[in-house]
Amino acid sequence: MAELQRDPVSRGQFLTMGIVGSLVGAVLTIPPTVYLLSPTIQTNFQGRSDIPDEWVEAGSVWEIPSGAPIEYRVEFPQNQTYDAGQPGAEEEPTPEGVAPNVGTAINTVLVSWRDGNLPGILEDNGGTQTLSAPEVEELSRRINVLSNHCAHLGCPTRWQAEKGLIVCPCHGGEYDINGGYRAGPPPHGLFRFAFEIRENGGLYVKHDFTNGTPWVV
Amino acid sequence: MIARIKSRTREVAHNLADWMEERTGIVSMTETFLFEPVPSKGKWLYTLGSATLFLITLQFLTGILLLFYYAPTADEAWDSIYYIMTEAYFGQFIRGIHFWSANILIVVIGLHMVRTFFSGAYKAPREMNWVVGVVLILLVTILAFTGYALRWDQEGFWAWEVGIKIGSYTPFIGQYVATFLLGGDTAGPATLSRIFAIHVWLLPALLAPLIGAHLYLLRKHGEFGAEFEYSKRLSELRERRQIEEYSSYTEGEGSLEDDRDSRG
Repeated sequence: MAELQRDPVSRGQFLTMGIVGSLVGAVLTIPPTVYLLSPTIQTNFQGRSDIPDEWVEAGSVWEIPSGAPIEYRVEFPQNQTYDAGQPGAEEEPTPEGVAPNVGTAINTVLVSWRDGNLPGILEDNGGTQTLSAPEVEELSRRINVLSNHCAHLGCPTRWQAEKGLIVCPCHGGEYDINGGYRAGPPPHGLFRFAFEIRENGGLYVKHDFTNGTPWVV
Repeated sequence: MIARIKSRTREVAHNLADWMEERTGIVSMTETFLFEPVPSKGKWLYTLGSATLFLITLQFLTGILLLFYYAPTADEAWDSIYYIMTEAYFGQFIRGIHFWSANILIVVIGLHMVRTFFSGAYKAPREMNWVVGVVLILLVTILAFTGYALRWDQEGFWAWEVGIKIGSYTPFIGQYVATFLLGGDTAGPATLSRIFAIHVWLLPALLAPLIGAHLYLLRKHGEFGAEFEYSKRLSELRERRQIEEYSSYTEGEGSLEDDRDSRG
């Protein structure tokens, strides 16, 4: 009976096998998993972005009409696969004749005045096209700088003048001129770009959003 | 003269088949692979599985051909497809087969699944084959979706964006799924590289062994409703009938003897 109960593998052997097995398993699984998940680790845990944290000019406040948004296509520099993706990577010397491998992410920005009303400042500016600090502050309060990506599934929305609404072609999501939710499946209004207005009326945007992450280009 | 040529050709073919069979067993192997009894009722419906296999093979073959020209980079993907469609000889033909057979494949798989469901072929002992089949249809759907994005045109790009957005709604891990599929926090070259790796390497590598398992399980249990499904029942039935016939015969013989006795 005692003979039958005796385990052919001793506790020491079992422990050694467990440790060696875990080590081999770790060597075989961790590197490929981390390799595949590196964008997730860098983005979600290290806070890295493909788009450098810098202002890009979209247009000018003088161009924005009343009653409808204006569309700007903004090209953000994008570091993704072909370089280190770190700040300053594009400044590294490149072989002669080879362009730096920095691509661009093109975003469409819908810019309008709140409720479509042109601010009086712009009408009474006397054509100087220079803005004082209080004027910039006032315009910043009255401007909508929106991503055109639908808050539902990211389809590109557009302004429909006959409806007076921003409409998504995919599932019929509707937003008012301020980007507020009106109808359809979107869970909330359009994403808003971080922006700044400069003295000359230049409108600059960052690839940064004040109300969530749209997961778009 | 013609008869002699015919008989000579037949003889050469037989000899060649025998020679190959002796060395490779290919003739008996082909017989084993190709001849599968199917129920006489709805026999054409039992070709849908083979049609699926044929279309998947077509996808593999035309996909390999497309790889000779396709460039999986954000700058060149669309241009390389444009080249295939306009410059490469038979490019439009090859890509057309890849595109249309992919579309037809989805329909045929759907019909195959409907046939399996309505004929009750998912029941015991074939449950595992049904499960493998469901996994296969999911893989094919992802293949179709990633293939759509590889074109890197407006349709494919936005379909992928929408797909990623749907993925981002996954509870708890949504944002990780999105960054994994994008290869960063925006769509770009890394996104296309990932789609390409998934479409061309990962999914076919998963698909091929699962197709093998699907076929193995089909052969193991046979088509549902085929004659051998009831072979045991049939052999018992035949045995019972034989006994009945024999007993009726012996009973008949006994009565004849009685007649003779009574006459004698």
